[in-house]
Amino acid sequence: MVLLKNLHPPTEGVRHEQAETTAVMDGQRLGCGTLYVAETRLSWFDGSGMGFSLEYPTISLHAISRDVSAYPQEHLYVMVSGKLSDENEAEMPEKEADEEDDGDSSSSSSSGDVDDEEVITEIRFVPSDKAALESIFSAMCECQALHPDPEDEDSDNDFEGEEYDVEEAEAEHGHADIPTFYTCDEGLSALTQEGQATLERLEGMLAQSVAHQYQMAGVRTDESKAEFEDGMEVDAAAMEAGQFEDADVEH
Amino acid sequence: MNCLSAFHSLRERTITENSMVVLLQGLQGAVTTVDMRNESTARGRVVNVDAFMNVRMEEVLYRDWKGQLTQLQDLFITGRNIRYIHIPDHIDIMKTIQSQLAKIHRARNFASQGGGRKEYEKQAVVFPQLPLHKCPPPPAPP
Repeated sequence: MVLLKNLHPPTEGVRHEQAETTAVMDGQRLGCGTLYVAETRLSWFDGSGMGFSLEYPTISLHAISRDVSAYPQEHLYVMVSGKLSDENEAEMPEKEADEEDDGDSSSSSSSGDVDDEEVITEIRFVPSDKAALESIFSAMCECQALHPDPEDEDSDNDFEGEEYDVEEAEAEHGHADIPTFYTCDEGLSALTQEGQATLERLEGMLAQSVAHQYQMAGVRTDESKAEFEDGMEVDAAAMEAGQFEDADVEH
Repeated sequence: MNCLSAFHSLRERTITENSMVVLLQGLQGAVTTVDMRNESTARGRVVNVDAFMNVRMEEVLYRDWKGQLTQLQDLFITGRNIRYIHIPDHIDIMKTIQSQLAKIHRARNFASQGGGRKEYEKQAVVFPQLPLHKCPPPPAPP
């Protein structure tokens, strides 16, 4: 269990604030405080300024539980991926000996029980005002949607700022155009910041591959040239300098 | 009755038009099961699916990875943590996709009806697990 000290409740982008809310983390009651559903993070603080915050990308799910047979009070259930101690930069005090367990057997601690790769923290926010659960839930849904998964591997999702209108494209080009292909000059100016960084990295890799005659085979990697994790070292002597010079710039 | 989900951004609409999420948005109102990556499952009524595949459900029977059952009134699952979303048998997948795409275009082009829409519907070809691209129609079967 981790408690952060000297943190302040968020002041901006607070979609919902709920006082008189008890926080229970992995079955352990942390006390009564105020829950803040802010656009940047979800946080909870007791009266003395101690509390914790959760980053939305770490939240796997949240739910309203009104099933008193599963847990005696109606509450907001939040499942967090990982243990808070992994994410928080603050120091981690030892578990307090007199912290009482709330005796809830249905929310048994799941640390390490799921599988070796993913550890889960279960948090329950129990407001004294049960009618507020819907608002808290909705506010969290909205804030969660503001933090889409940055690791989403579907690269075609990156269409920021460009509306692709089928009718418009047909009028301009006379046929349905695929928006991701550009000629070289157009492409350079249409690159996003990420695209520009990628281009620079790839060009750098190509330049290095010519200079040092290492074949990277177009594999994207952040590792230095000396590290070949997959053991695929290619005999560089067989390479010709300038092998990639006639390659088209593709995006 | 399917409600067209409100698009909070142009990006979301573009993502939706170009991926299988458009099918999932057609599941609104249906009861189905969502399998999560941590081996738990949630069965309930789909309230909303957004462009990032975040799923909001109601009246959910949630089974955690240990097999423990809990009833949840409202549930929001982050898209990243979803492994499968079951498509109910009664859902006609192609029709759902076409209908959802048509709604998007109607919403966007309410001033001009027809025109590019019919062509677009012909060109939309569904590949499982791949984003939709605007392709020419497949050759007619022999």
